[in-house]
Order: sequence, then C-alpha cells, then structure tokens
Amino acid sequence: MAEFEPKIIAFCCNWCTYAAADIAGTSRIHYPANVRIVRVMCSGMVDPIYILKAFEMGADGVLVAGCHEADCHYLNGPLKCDAMFEKLKKVVNVLGLEEERLRREMIAAAEAPIFAELIEEMVKQLKKLGPSPFRERVKV
Amino acid sequence: MNLEDIIKETKTYYCLECGKCTSICPVSRHNSNFSPRLMLERALMGFEDELIHDRELFSCLTCYACSHLCPSDVDYPVFTQKVRNLASSQGEHGDCAHSGTLFSLMRLISRSDIKQKRLDWLDGCRTSQKSEVLYFVGCAPYFEPIFQDIEVSPVSIARNSIKILNALGIEPMVLPNERCCGHDLLWTGDVETFKKLAQLNAQMIKETGAKKIVFSCPEGYRTFKIDYPQYVELDCELMHITELLAQNLSTLSLRAKRSNPEVKKVTYQDPCRLGRHLGIYEPPREIIRAIPGMKLVEMEHSGDESICCGTSAWTNCGSYSKEIRVERLLEARATGAGMLVTACPKCQIHFKCAMVDKGAEKGPDIEMEVMDIVTLVANALGGKSGE
Amino acid sequence: MEEIKVGVYICHCGLNIAGTVDVEEVARYAQGLPSVVVARDYRYMCSDPGQALIKDDIKNFGLNRVVVASCSPRMHEPTFRRACQDAGLNPYLFEHANIREHCSWVHDDRQIATEKAKDLVRAAVRRVYYHEPLEIKERPLNPNVLVVGGGIAGIQAALDIANGEHRVYLVEKEPSIGGHMAQLDRTFPTLDCSECILTPKMTEVGQHPFITLLAYSEVEEVLGSVGNFKVKVRKKARYVDEEKCTGCGVCEEKCPWKVDSEFEVGIGKRGVIYLPFAQAIPHVATIDKERCVYFLKGKCRACEKFCDAKAIDFEQEDEIIELEAGSIILTTGYDLFDAGRIPQYGYGRYDNVLTALEFERMTCAAGPTEGKILLRDGRQPESAAIIHCVGSRDENYHEYCSRVCCMYGLKYAHLIKENTQAEVYQMYIDMRCFGEGFEEFYRRVCDEGVNFIRGKVAKVTDVALTEEEQGKLIAIAEDTLLGRIVRVPVDMVILCPALEPRSDAEDVAKLFTINRRADGFFMERHVKLDPVATATEGVFIAGCCEGPKDIPDTVAQASAAAAKALSVISRGRVVIEPTIAQVNEALCQACGRCEEICDFHAPKVISKDGVRVSSVDAALCKGCGACAVVCPTGAMSIRHSTREQINSMVEALLEV
Repeated sequence: MAEFEPKIIAFCCNWCTYAAADIAGTSRIHYPANVRIVRVMCSGMVDPIYILKAFEMGADGVLVAGCHEADCHYLNGPLKCDAMFEKLKKVVNVLGLEEERLRREMIAAAEAPIFAELIEEMVKQLKKLGPSPFRERVKV
Repeated sequence: MNLEDIIKETKTYYCLECGKCTSICPVSRHNSNFSPRLMLERALMGFEDELIHDRELFSCLTCYACSHLCPSDVDYPVFTQKVRNLASSQGEHGDCAHSGTLFSLMRLISRSDIKQKRLDWLDGCRTSQKSEVLYFVGCAPYFEPIFQDIEVSPVSIARNSIKILNALGIEPMVLPNERCCGHDLLWTGDVETFKKLAQLNAQMIKETGAKKIVFSCPEGYRTFKIDYPQYVELDCELMHITELLAQNLSTLSLRAKRSNPEVKKVTYQDPCRLGRHLGIYEPPREIIRAIPGMKLVEMEHSGDESICCGTSAWTNCGSYSKEIRVERLLEARATGAGMLVTACPKCQIHFKCAMVDKGAEKGPDIEMEVMDIVTLVANALGGKSGE
Repeated sequence: MEEIKVGVYICHCGLNIAGTVDVEEVARYAQGLPSVVVARDYRYMCSDPGQALIKDDIKNFGLNRVVVASCSPRMHEPTFRRACQDAGLNPYLFEHANIREHCSWVHDDRQIATEKAKDLVRAAVRRVYYHEPLEIKERPLNPNVLVVGGGIAGIQAALDIANGEHRVYLVEKEPSIGGHMAQLDRTFPTLDCSECILTPKMTEVGQHPFITLLAYSEVEEVLGSVGNFKVKVRKKARYVDEEKCTGCGVCEEKCPWKVDSEFEVGIGKRGVIYLPFAQAIPHVATIDKERCVYFLKGKCRACEKFCDAKAIDFEQEDEIIELEAGSIILTTGYDLFDAGRIPQYGYGRYDNVLTALEFERMTCAAGPTEGKILLRDGRQPESAAIIHCVGSRDENYHEYCSRVCCMYGLKYAHLIKENTQAEVYQMYIDMRCFGEGFEEFYRRVCDEGVNFIRGKVAKVTDVALTEEEQGKLIAIAEDTLLGRIVRVPVDMVILCPALEPRSDAEDVAKLFTINRRADGFFMERHVKLDPVATATEGVFIAGCCEGPKDIPDTVAQASAAAAKALSVISRGRVVIEPTIAQVNEALCQACGRCEEICDFHAPKVISKDGVRVSSVDAALCKGCGACAVVCPTGAMSIRHSTREQINSMVEALLEV
C-alpha cells in the first residue's frame, strides 16, 4: 500500500515568504514536494474562504505565511492576518479540525532555510496525523 | 426537475399578473431590478436562461410577504427555491456574503467522519444523556466567533434556552455532533448537501430516542417541520421555545430587572420563518407581556405584515439589504421603544450588522438595543444570563 | 461572452527546469486542459525567440489569455506582460507559474516534480481564465525630490539631481550637513584630506539654487505614493536666526558652559551654543536646548549679549514644513558599533583604548589635539595596537564584514608611522584589500615596518605579568601563523568597530514603508540587479544605510539613486498600478470597516448621489487586500487578486 502523502496548500506573501521560497530554490535547498504555494500580495490578503475551501477540496494541511511584523511592505498586514487567523482558529476548532493542520508562520525573505524546515516539519506531522477528516476521498 | 415541472408543482400558472406581490415586496421597494411578478412571467413564457442567469433570482428573501397577499395563492418562495436548484446546477449561486465562508462551513459539516467540538459553552446548563426532550443548538457555536465584532452572542441564546428549559423542569439532551439544519443550502439551491445534513441529523436524533425537539432558531424549526419530512423520516414533536414558554408562563416566576425598575418599552420583530412561514405570532407577544416592567409597543408593520430583516441565507446582501434594515430600524425607533426584541438569531445578527458605522462620515442614527426573547426571559428569571 | 483561448508555454530554462521536470509531458498535459488552444515547450521563454512564440500565437490563434510556466514571476512576470502588450494583448491577461524556484530546483524526483509542475500549470490556467484586462492609468507627478540625510551620499545625490535643474529638498537632522565623512581625517588609499574633498561639495549644496537645505530637521510624516509624496518635516528651533547669523563663532567663545562635542566623538568639547565644526554648512550657530542654562534655569543669555548680528532668538519655535516630492532618496548613514559592548577590549575602562572615529579626530589637524597622536596624559605613544573586526564577523554581534575597517586600519598604521616613532601592531584575521589601490597600499604599509599579527585579540588588559608590560595595555591574541599565544604590550589600542544600522533604522523604515534585511540595514529591491531601489516605488536608498561601504562606493550608489529618482520624475507622469481595490457599489452597505482598517487612508465612506458608499482613492491604494477581507458583503475586491481568481487556484490545485 502506498504511503499517505499529505497535501499542503501554502498562502505566501509576495514580498517575504514567496521570496523566501524563491531563494530556497536559488540556493537549491530541497524540501518535500507535498506543498503547493498560492501567491498573495500580503498575508493580510488571505481571506478565510481560501483556507476553508482548501480543506473542503481535500487539503490535509494549510499554511498561511508572510512577513514579520516589522517588515510588511504594507505596514500592518501581518497584524491584520493575525486577527483574521485568531477568529478562524476558533471556528475551525468547533469543526474539530486538529490544530496541526492549520498553521500561521512569519518567514522573511532572508529566511529560506526556515521555510524549507517548516515544510519538512509539516509533512512529518501530517503523515502522523493522517488524512484530513474532511476529505471525501477514500483514505489510503 | 426542469422549469416546466417546477411551474406545475408550485402551481405558478395560476398567476394573474396582478402585481400585488411586487407592490408589497420589501426588496422591490428598494431594488427596481427585482420583481416577483416579472420573475414568474419569465418562467411562464419559457425564458429559462434569462431567469436562471439573472443575479436577482437570488435577491428574494423568501419572506412570504407576497404569497400572503397573493389572490391565486402562488407559493413564490418555494418556486424561487426550486428554480435556484436549477440555477445551482448551472453554476449560479448569487453573491455570497462573508466570502461564502458560511456555505463552506455547512459543506464541511456535511462530511461524515468529523468530530466537532460544539459544546464548550454548556457550563451552568443542566443537560441529560436520556431525556424525552432534545434541544437543537443550531449554528450558535460557529456564529459566536464569526460575529463577535458586532457584539452579538448566539451562544448565549443557546445557553439561556437551556436555562429556561431547566427552569421549566426539563434537562434536555443535546447532540455532541449535531449538524447544521441545512436551511441556507436548501434555499440557495444545494439540495444534495442539504439531504446529507438531514440524513445525518435524523440518524443521530433517532439514536437518542428523543420524542420532542425544541428550537430557539425559527429557521431550524421551519426546516425540520416542513422540509425534512420530504427527505427523511423523523417521528418527533417539534416546537419553538416561545411556544413552549407561552404554554407554561404560569409556572415561571418572572420579575423585573432589579437594576431598572422603570417600565421599559420594547418592540418585537416577527421573524419570517416563525411568523408568515409557520403562523406563530401570539406566543412571543404573550411572553413579553408577562414580563413585569415590559411594555410591548408594535411597529407600524407587525404580525403578518412584518417586514423581513433584509437578508436571507447570506445571499445577495448588499446596499438594498441595508436600506431595508434602516427602514425597519427607523420604524422600531419611531415606536419610542428602547429595545428591539427578536426571536431569531439571524434577525439579531442582521440588525446589529446594520448599526456598524465606522466611517468618518456617519449615516442615519439607527442605534438601539437588540435582544433575543430568550435572553429577555432568562434575565427576568433572576439568575445570571450572560448576555 | 467571448470564448476564452489560452496559450501555455513551458520553459526548459536550459536544464534548470528540463533537467528535473519532463517539460514535454507538461506541455502535452496543458494542451488537454479546458480552454487551452495551444501548448508549447521551449528552451528559453524569456529570450527574444521565446517571446516571439507568444506574440505569434496571440496573432495566429487569437489568444486572449497566456500562461508561462518558468522561473519565479518575481523575475520575469514584467517581461512576459510586456511581450503580451507588444502583441496587442492586455498585459494583465497573463499568468505566470513558478516551476523552477518552487519545483525543479527544490525537488529531485522526476516523476514527483513533473506531477507538481502539472498541478501548478493547471492552477495557472484556471486562474488566468478569470483575469480581466486592466487599464494602466497615468497621472501627473510632482517633480521635486526629497533626500533624507546630508552625509556624502545625500550631498552627492542632491547635487546630481539639482544639476539636472530639479528641486531637491535635503533634510538633515544634525545642525550641519557632512555626516561621518566630515569627521574623517584622511581617506584611504590616496590619503586625501576628507574635509578638503568634502567641503567644496558642502558649499555647493549650501549655495545651489535648486537645493533647499533643511538642516537640523527631521521627517515626521510621509503620505501618498510615488510621484505624489506629501511629507511633513519638523525644522527644529536653533534659537538662532539663520538669516542674521554670520557664523562668526563669538557666541561659542563666550558661552560659559562647555559640553562633550558629538562631532569630536567625546574627546573634545563644544559650547552649549555652538557650530559643530569649522566648515559647518549651514554656517550658523545652534543652541543645545537640553543643556542651555537659560532654558533650564532662566539665567545667562551671554550669547545674546555678545552677538553683533543680533541673531539670537530665544522665542524661536519648531516649524512644521509641508512639502511635496515625486521621489525620495534615503541616505541616513550608519552608527558605529559601541565597542563598550565587548568589555574584554576595555573600551570605556582604559584611558587609551580608542575607537576609529576617536582616532580620526585625533589625527585631524583641526581636531582636539591639533593632529598630534597623544595618549590621554599628553605623552606620545611608543607603541600602538590596531584591532580589527570589533563587532564584525562575529556571531555574537554582527555576522557581516564591515568592509572598510581593514583599509582604515592600515591607514592608521601608516599615519602613526608617519607622525611618531611608535611600533605598530596590526592584529587582524584577514586583510580585505579589494578595491582600487587597496592592495598596493597594503604593500606600502608592510614596507613601512608595521608588525602584522594574524590573530583576533581576545582581551586587552592592564595587568602586567612582566617588567616590560608595566604601565602598558596588553593585547592578548594567538598568532595563528606562528601557532603561539602572544601578549603585545602597547601604549595605545585602536579598535576597528563594526558599522551598524542607525539606532532609529526601524522607525525610519516604517516611516518610509521600506523593509530591512536580517542584518538591520535597509533592504534593496534586488541584491544584484536593483541595489538602490526598495520594495516601495519611488523610495531609493544609497550609502551606508544600505550596508557598510567606503566613500567611492557610497558616491557611486548616491549617483545611481539620483539617476533612479530622476527617471521617476523626468517622465512628468506616474503610472497608477491598476491592481488595487475596487468597490461594487450594489453590494456596499457603507459600514466603514474598509475605512477603519486601511493604513493608507485609501477607502472612505462618502455620499454619492444621495447614496452612501465606500470610495477608493486610487492614488493611495496599495492593493494589500486588507479591506477586502473585512468587507462583510464582498463589495470590496482587489483587481487581479479577486476571491474568484484565488479560489479557482485552490480548487484547481486540489481537484486531482
């Protein structure tokens, strides 16, 4: 039987985390291929519907990543994202979504190795946790 | 089901084109692009595409103001519901407020293997594992965090409902993995997911052996009473908490709020689903009149003439919805009442949302207290209600 | 509705992508996607023939959407947008899939990488379906330039722009321009006198008809965007009328109170009313309000009594100046690392441990010792140790190399040799002599008999172990070339401290909406290809605020930033990014949540034909998306990042 490969959707802000992933590429830092990055201009642009839709469509894990508070190109995007995220966490908690499946991180453009490590960590955690209970597909 | 079938089923061919529906419709009053009569006319003339792809198909509040007056007894809301089902199969769904997150949640809740954590708010409430009565909680645990910024607490309504049931000597069961009743999905055309939710709920309720289900949400109540029987079998007596309360007023000792002995004028919003959908107008009024220190004053349009709170199923919520709410709130303020009493969590949410005015240039003054009747009663019971 | 016709192009990027991803397979897969009319793979899509493929297909197939799967959009999105535009297709009908940085370069399994590439292409094709053509509008701009920071970088930039006959506002927070370069004595490797080469430029700035010099001033607020910045500057009160003051200096002579001079780095004094140095521009006095006895106790006013020009004005107030500029250049310079943070070197404890800037003031003929190299007690040193990498190349303080210290360390060695009989010990880890004339200078200093000891000094102590060490400072290091611990007894220790970002760099970055790097200096847009631009349109950086560098590099960057600033304003109009917020008025309920959350004051609830709606000021909106997230009805959306577009990507990525 094939090993369960979790699917991760990562919403990454253009100026910081997306750039960090780019630099991971330029530096040839390898990490698991389970992640698919969706580019947003700012972590403050991430709407809760994107995250809920990801879980609806069968994602096993979702990452929302952007600048550190001091670095945001639009000044306070990370704080706005945090406010959205705190509210959403309460909602998905009622749904019974495990905490490890939805993550909020701040990764600067200069922190490519941290991005790669994070993906490694998420994949390991999600493999242990198993497929999302919201998947309608046959479990492996 | 195709458009012809829908017309036959809802008997819309009886329509006289008299226009009474449009003249009373709150949406038509503010949105000249919407007219129930014209929608029907398009259907009857076979303009299926225009009908299905018209955004205004999703503007109807399904409030029954039209059908209530219709000389041909056309069921316009059900007609709309079924045409929306047709439209949904072609990818149409109107504009979903809150980015469609509520609908996404409903779909997630319909998955079979989930284990929700819905009952953290139960402290102070007495429930039981085996009772004749089941209290249907509804979407309160989800609405609580989602609408925290407009200062409503749907979970307080649930908590206060159980406190009231306790005061009536009932320790109800609550489902730990209760599903959304599916009302919003049904009315916007997603019958498939609605069916799943109905099946899951019916299954769980049967397993409890409950004989009676009490609702504090009129939408859940209406859905179980009128819509579920078409899809699932559930042999339970169904009641809105105001019906139960009105029957048992004598057994409750209600007293005025100690902090404010003056008589408080309040007015009451008839929810569409409780009022025109199910004919329940008097019980909530009896309850208000029974609370010492409360004086009920009626708005210009009350009872079966009541005006809807402006949005149904989070769909096509826009500038016209706001206009409807402003109009209704000005009516409420014109009564001189200091409080608007609601009996539906959605009404409370929509009216409170209309009061949000954060721009530098302010709008009309429509600020007033909006309280659910369950909380009103729980406060008068003397114990802490937590609103 | 028009039929959507998508063209998909998979780039090999030589072997960069094709070496890991089966690009032909991905192209075949793309061909089968809905609405895709043509799918190709090619070696280098960004090349002229690559772009020609797109342009030809647009014409021949009537394509109205284009997807390129190649490197990061941060590299070539503008390239392919331009290609589309050249072929008559709106540039926003293009979407870029990143299958290099995010795929072929980070995964090694060919099958897995190819599957991922297919997912990314599928998502891009789905998203581009929902793209709308967007109009790039233009608006007139303000042709002035604001330069913040009056050191050599700011001076150079201001002159370059002013010589092009554009107005420059040069804001400097100290009472005089000149920055750190004014404090230097000789500059390596030519040993030019710093003041001699700087002063003519400073004078030119002071007299230039196109430069408005706002010294003793600080920027307090920056609003607007490229082409139309609205800036508030606080001109601090000197309590001296600039128009009347002749800079004669009598007031400073007569001032009874003397305090440490910042210019002399604490080894010399100045009056409480003072000119910071002899060649100060503007050449006017300033009263240090915090220390002035009149402000503190209501007494004295001696300066007023002796001022012939009647320039003293104790009633003077700070002035808020509002100005407009089309572009901004930040040249705020550096701070010197506080060597006291490394207690082992004894700075602040021992009298004769000096920092580089202190030594500069010492050797300067106009300085507190009139150019004589002296110990604290007035004697000439018989020996000196110069310690490199103080706070640089050090995990505990700053990882980076400060670039200039090796050279100025050698300069000090040379100056000591030239002016004294002292033995000089250069204690270093590496000798970084990379520039023009640098290696040659190093050879020269070697030939002058300077002792080079390769070893980082661990400690400076005054505890003598031998007769020879009595009364000396002993630098303890391992001479790594000899493999021996050495104790070097000297009279004077000169530390080469790191250059670090200004202590207020975080506040300045926030004020001008720019980022900082991990090391704290301002972040350039691209390390190699755009070193003076920042992520913020219209704001440029130059000099040491961007990272440690010497004077030639600083001047080069300053001129580069000036060129960039000029290219913004010389067109006379600025492009308004169309990827900003827009309001669907039918859905707007005028709740004001958008107005509340926006940091740039772009959306506002207004009355339009009797109806209240939100309205977005296109010039102020940055397209960050925060307002769209808080809008309860979906009335607010961001062009080119709509919910429909992003949702479609999420669906496409997960549906297989």
